[in-house]
Amino acid sequence: MRAYKPKDNVQAKAYYTDRFYVAPQVPKSAVETDEVFASDLEAIKAKFEVKDAYIQVEQMVIYINAHDIYGVLELMRDELQYTQLSEMSAIDWLAKDNTFEIFYQMLSMTKRKRIRVKYFIENGQAVDSVEKLFRSADWSEREMFDMFGIEANNHPFMKRILMPYDWQGNPLLKTYPLEGDEFAAWYEVDKIYGKEARDIIGPELRDTARVDRYDSERFSRLGFEVPKGTKITGDEEPHVESYQEESGVFMVTKLDKESSKVIDDPQR
Amino acid sequence: MAQVKNRLTPFFENITFDRDDNELVLNFGPQHPSAHGQLRLMLHLQQEQIVKAHPDIGYLHRGMEKMAENMIYNEFMPTTDRMDYIASSSNNYGFALAVEKLIGLEVPRRAKVIRMFLLEINRLMSHLFWLATTALDIGAMTVFLFAFREREYLMDIIEGYCGARLTHAAIRIGGVPLDIQDSFLGQLRVFLDKLPQNIKDYEDLLDSNRIWLMRMEEVGTISTEMALSWGCTGPMLRASGVAWDIRKEEPYELYDEVEFNVPFSDKGDNFARYRIYMEEMRESAKILYQCIEMYEKCEKDGQTELMAHAPKYISAPKLDIMTQNYSLMQHFVLVTQGMRPPVGEVYVATESPKGELGFYINSQGGPYPYRLKLRAPSFWHTGILTDLLPGHYIPDVVSIIGTTNIVFGEVDR
Amino acid sequence: MAQHKVNYTQDGGLPIALTSVDKIVNWGRSNSLWAMTYGLACCGIEMMAAGASRYDFDRFGTIFRASPRQSDVMIVAGTLTKKHSEFIKRLYDQMTEPRWVISMGSCANTGGMFNTYATVQGVDRIIPVDLYLPGCAPRPETLQYGVMLLQKKIRANKAGNAQKAKRLM
Repeated sequence: MRAYKPKDNVQAKAYYTDRFYVAPQVPKSAVETDEVFASDLEAIKAKFEVKDAYIQVEQMVIYINAHDIYGVLELMRDELQYTQLSEMSAIDWLAKDNTFEIFYQMLSMTKRKRIRVKYFIENGQAVDSVEKLFRSADWSEREMFDMFGIEANNHPFMKRILMPYDWQGNPLLKTYPLEGDEFAAWYEVDKIYGKEARDIIGPELRDTARVDRYDSERFSRLGFEVPKGTKITGDEEPHVESYQEESGVFMVTKLDKESSKVIDDPQR
Repeated sequence: MAQVKNRLTPFFENITFDRDDNELVLNFGPQHPSAHGQLRLMLHLQQEQIVKAHPDIGYLHRGMEKMAENMIYNEFMPTTDRMDYIASSSNNYGFALAVEKLIGLEVPRRAKVIRMFLLEINRLMSHLFWLATTALDIGAMTVFLFAFREREYLMDIIEGYCGARLTHAAIRIGGVPLDIQDSFLGQLRVFLDKLPQNIKDYEDLLDSNRIWLMRMEEVGTISTEMALSWGCTGPMLRASGVAWDIRKEEPYELYDEVEFNVPFSDKGDNFARYRIYMEEMRESAKILYQCIEMYEKCEKDGQTELMAHAPKYISAPKLDIMTQNYSLMQHFVLVTQGMRPPVGEVYVATESPKGELGFYINSQGGPYPYRLKLRAPSFWHTGILTDLLPGHYIPDVVSIIGTTNIVFGEVDR
Repeated sequence: MAQHKVNYTQDGGLPIALTSVDKIVNWGRSNSLWAMTYGLACCGIEMMAAGASRYDFDRFGTIFRASPRQSDVMIVAGTLTKKHSEFIKRLYDQMTEPRWVISMGSCANTGGMFNTYATVQGVDRIIPVDLYLPGCAPRPETLQYGVMLLQKKIRANKAGNAQKAKRLM
């Protein structure tokens, strides 16, 4: 029987999990345990709806509504001194409930605190660009668009950034295999030589460790070289490499190991 | 031999030319010797002045985040080497620290000291490499040869430790795999004793050099607001007037026990960045001297542990694996299936030589990370070229790219 | 008139060496292999190290040139991605014949550890390669050895004949 493979998540999965295995949780603590975070959260809560907030690994995580993101980040930048957007990207939850989770990693250099602002969007929904607040979001949102296909409203230049402009597919989606789809596999051949060259060049050889010592067409063993195409039997004569031509180049005399000085101390 | 036929269309196929001005569009890269990798810049020029710059990246995008989702945690460690390949150990460390925070591990002190050695040696290697390449781009061949000479000595030390020159993979989740070799401290001391004189040599060659000053001073000035807005970190931010060093502000490892200064400047130009790199090399040397003392103290106190003890996540020492049944079983499971960190997420930032290197890991309790986002500083240091280059002249492009210290393994990941 | 200090009657007579055209042409070609700087990734750093103070490539006559039109050998040092693949073809076509290609490092040889959607699985899918250097990243010594092997390969060929079409199309 052929094993069932889920189509909505083609990433590597554990081949065996104990039936009774319950994954432990990274401990979360209440926001009140840290007074800086507590006051920040109060300030945000006064103006916007905060769905959930907790502290995990020394950083506060807050969940907000998708349409509030510009306002929240503006408030955090102008009033709460979170002056830097370190990072933003998305997490693909399409297989679970058809949503993307977007996170914004904020840094306050005066308070030495980091907050992660998060929200969920539906598949196909666009996010609001925060490029006007933080220029760093310009490239981050382009990367997110490239990798997940999530568009950002009001972005000045919503184009692919890492993949070529004529690329198809969004590589970081869970439905996209690591080795790429057929388009990816033949991209460079199609582009440079055309589709008809596929047969001549052949498919990609993904097994990088494949070495066949009996194949003298494609491999040569250093020290035991034979002419191309010779049948290898295993009793080839070792072939001594000399670094100079036999009689020496006529300007340079023959180098020999005995009379040359070997420097073995690199720190000399 | 006849030219091999191909179907490539003329070069500017993806740019529109329906403009009615006199702008010249100049393509810079992706194979340009002073682009520090595979940077492609589309420069719109008004005579020699740049009016619009459009950096095009992705020429070294190798899909590392996707790889991480398909690899067990320990398997991903060598891949992080290839991000910022000038200073590989700092990437190893960033990833190891993120996973350790996720599973809540405490690393033995001796391992911490060895990690500090590796991190600071990597910082020195990275800064020396930066100096060499930037000086070469600007035409100072001597400095290139000098700085590479010193860098080779550091590489010898690292090679003695882990066997690799460039891609170290010298740090494991939970500690370090090996103790330092016998000759490590001696070689390091010899190097560090020579270093101040070497740095002075570079400075004598550059600091009062008229060409160097003309191409560095008042060129590529980044204001504080711009640096913050673009997410600049590391020397780029410190040159623009913000004294922010994660080693100082959010100390990890033993950085709260060592004494060092954070050099910063409020000029924001190329020259300020150059000065900061030079000063940071001196500070690294200071830290390394203190690390030597700490290591010797560890030796005296008999602290020999190199890996944390956490049987659920980390394999036992080799001797235990070879002699004890349960350790062998655990090791087998950890190698074949991988460790399973708890459900949760973590973002950990470390100060790599280039800036803030962050790892965001979202774990769903499986042996593979559900999402791993690499926050590489160079990505934004490349992005800032969009706003920084307009107004400058063509020759300035090279010196600005040089001082931003971008590495494309990290930009494109 | 300048005085000649060389005694032509000693040490085997006059300073004249007789050789064939093949040999002298190959001697020149193999000892002045100008390499194109094609540092794509990590291996590019080792390529630079090979050109810098300790390993000193200049003594092999290998000088790095930034332009494909001035270079004889293309050292593909690093990962070739799909986005970059068209440029390597363009640059290869710009090089004058005779031209050689060294594929440096696992990524350029076979895709190496980057078995992903974005990486070309071996640069020989796009341009013909003369020499593959293993390693990730290969040491500068490997590159030096590779260049010496390439020199041997060049010396073994007939210089007069036009180069045979290499693999691919």
